[in-house]
Amino acid sequence: MTSTLGTTVKFEKIAKSFGVVRVLEELSLDISPGEFLVLLGASGSGKTTALRILAGLETASSGRVIIGDNDVTEVLPKYRDVSMVFQSYALYPHKTVGENIGFPLKVRKVSQAEQDKAIREAAAQVQIDQLLDRYPRQLSGGQRQRVALARAMIRRPSVFLMDEPLSNLDAKLRGHMRAELKHMQSELGITTIYVTHDQIEAMTLAHRVAILEKGVLQQLDTPAKIYNDPINLFVAQFIGSPPMNVVHGGLEGTTFKSRSGLVNVPVGGKIDKAILGVRPEDCTIVAPDIAEFKGEIYTIELIGDHTLVTVKAGDDFITVKAPKDFSGKSGSQIGVSFSKERMFVFDKETGARIR
Amino acid sequence: MKTSTYKIEKSHRSLLMRLFEPPAIGKMSFASKLLSYFILWFWALFVIFPIYWVIITAFKDATTVNQGPFYIPFVDFQPNLNAWRVHLADDPYCNAYAIGRQLLLLIHNSLVFIVSPIFTLEAMEPQICKTYLAFTNSLIIGLVSTALCVSFGSMAAYALARVEYKPKFGNIFIFILLALCTIFTTNYAGIPWYFSTAVGLALFFLLARTLGKKFIRTLHNGDILFWIISQRILPPIVVIIPVYIMFQTVGLLDTHLALIIIYTVANLPIVVWLMHDFFLALPIELEESAQLDGASRFSIFWDIVLPLTRPGLAATTLLTLILNWNEYIFAVFISTSKSQTMPIMVAAKNAGEKGILWWEMCVVIVIMIIPVILMAIILQRFISRGVLLGAIKG
Repeated sequence: MTSTLGTTVKFEKIAKSFGVVRVLEELSLDISPGEFLVLLGASGSGKTTALRILAGLETASSGRVIIGDNDVTEVLPKYRDVSMVFQSYALYPHKTVGENIGFPLKVRKVSQAEQDKAIREAAAQVQIDQLLDRYPRQLSGGQRQRVALARAMIRRPSVFLMDEPLSNLDAKLRGHMRAELKHMQSELGITTIYVTHDQIEAMTLAHRVAILEKGVLQQLDTPAKIYNDPINLFVAQFIGSPPMNVVHGGLEGTTFKSRSGLVNVPVGGKIDKAILGVRPEDCTIVAPDIAEFKGEIYTIELIGDHTLVTVKAGDDFITVKAPKDFSGKSGSQIGVSFSKERMFVFDKETGARIR
Repeated sequence: MKTSTYKIEKSHRSLLMRLFEPPAIGKMSFASKLLSYFILWFWALFVIFPIYWVIITAFKDATTVNQGPFYIPFVDFQPNLNAWRVHLADDPYCNAYAIGRQLLLLIHNSLVFIVSPIFTLEAMEPQICKTYLAFTNSLIIGLVSTALCVSFGSMAAYALARVEYKPKFGNIFIFILLALCTIFTTNYAGIPWYFSTAVGLALFFLLARTLGKKFIRTLHNGDILFWIISQRILPPIVVIIPVYIMFQTVGLLDTHLALIIIYTVANLPIVVWLMHDFFLALPIELEESAQLDGASRFSIFWDIVLPLTRPGLAATTLLTLILNWNEYIFAVFISTSKSQTMPIMVAAKNAGEKGILWWEMCVVIVIMIIPVILMAIILQRFISRGVLLGAIKG
């Protein structure tokens, strides 16, 4: 994160509404130079709107955007020194790969010789230097993605913006490009803001993740903190695959009670409608007589290196990450035990975490 | 179950099924194939025959035409070039000198409005080959007005497709009111036009800045677009008298400039309407990406948008060209001799002293349709699909 290239980016109480629909509610972000920040959220969470406001493609209803030392809230996109990779790549279909990559320099009236040099350098960086004379229609999805990346980085902008750049690729290529993207960003040291709905991308790429829901920032923290210390039920359920188990019940003192059992939790209080959250890897299958929760096996899915066992306990389904050699039968009675320090309790009404 | 499966297997289909059922999805049955091709061939004959008839009539003479229908050249009748000679060879002014002189005249006439305050060229006698004159007139007027029309129209259409306009209803009303006042004071109160116009404009800006803030109802791009296309609802014949008087007032009657202006204006709505749809169909990400890359609005239009709408642009150009080339009503009022176009010349053959000179008329028609066919062949290459391939799909 120590780079001369990176620039700070600041959102100051950015709000946006389209007519009566409020898309973003007073979003404030402080992004340090060279940081890789991921805006994570479901569709309609306002993450793309935030990115477009930063790019200048959308104007904020209120608030300020600051890049470096400049207030760019009312500055045209072309003067903001940001470049963007679109989900659809937005390559110019009538231009060759070389012309596509060189377009940002061409409109800046850079000399042809310098353009050619820069194009070759940028293309080499994403390994498409042998494709410069082709047209976008002759390229595969992954190659198009690389062209879009090369075009975004050719003029060394102060900020990179990426709007779900990997979502059009197939799973294998996506993993590969993800690793390359991360490597490239740390090498270039350019501040990057990356929008995605894919939690794996967010967890793997980001220095920090900002989770948005319905235009409201839920949590802004490192991936590890977000996973291990979620601020509320939404964040807890959004991150993690398979998602965190939820058990409905009530909290009395330090005892969480549900219809299928009771367990001592590390927090205390008195809440009639509470939710106990435990990640599948923090659950273990045990014999019914020593277990905190009892239920019957609903399904068993062998993933490869582990087995996912779904247990029906009362009205709740608890997924347990079990060893790959787990043997059990659908419908048989079984118990589930939770690891003590890894249980979270949430208020069902507000979704807030009880600490 | 088993017997029914057996029946619909290909080798066991009845004659009726073979006739009326398609052999595969995406193919036609024999009967419908027969019917559709019959209709198509019949219609093709219907369309092609008049063109054939015009072409062979151009090679007939008075007797061959009058003695009844002859259909096949060299068999029914002996074709000759008499009618062509009347137009091209017998005309005493169809030589290099006359044509050169005529070109000078054309340029002078086209620019008379602009150059006459600076210097005046002695009005030249129309010692000219009429067919050649009409042809070059049509060519110049058609091409220039099409070029103007398509460039202005597509720029307007692009603006309407991508920029949001919100003119206040009240401001439009104020503008019309002030325009009426300006006209009234100029014509009836004797105030010089430049003075009244300046005052009117100043008043408009003043009122629009102050009163305009109070108006709430606005028009939108859709309203503007509809207003533009509504200009084409009136038939030209309705507006021809005012148009005639306007050109008479500024001394542009019977000039190329007049016809170029009126054709451009008359076809602008069609270009705007057609191009607007083509621009809307472009993925907006391309333009947004270009904006972030640092391109100006005009270079986005020129470098990204226009090349991608090339098929639409070619189709629109062709349509506009055909409309301008064939236009009759405006031309018949505004041009008298020097700026006469081909359609006028065709119609003139109708009114000879010796009755209708069909063979001569057909020569003019043949000369007239050749450039359009050539243009169609050239532009048709651009009206291809798949230009956007590779732009946005993964």
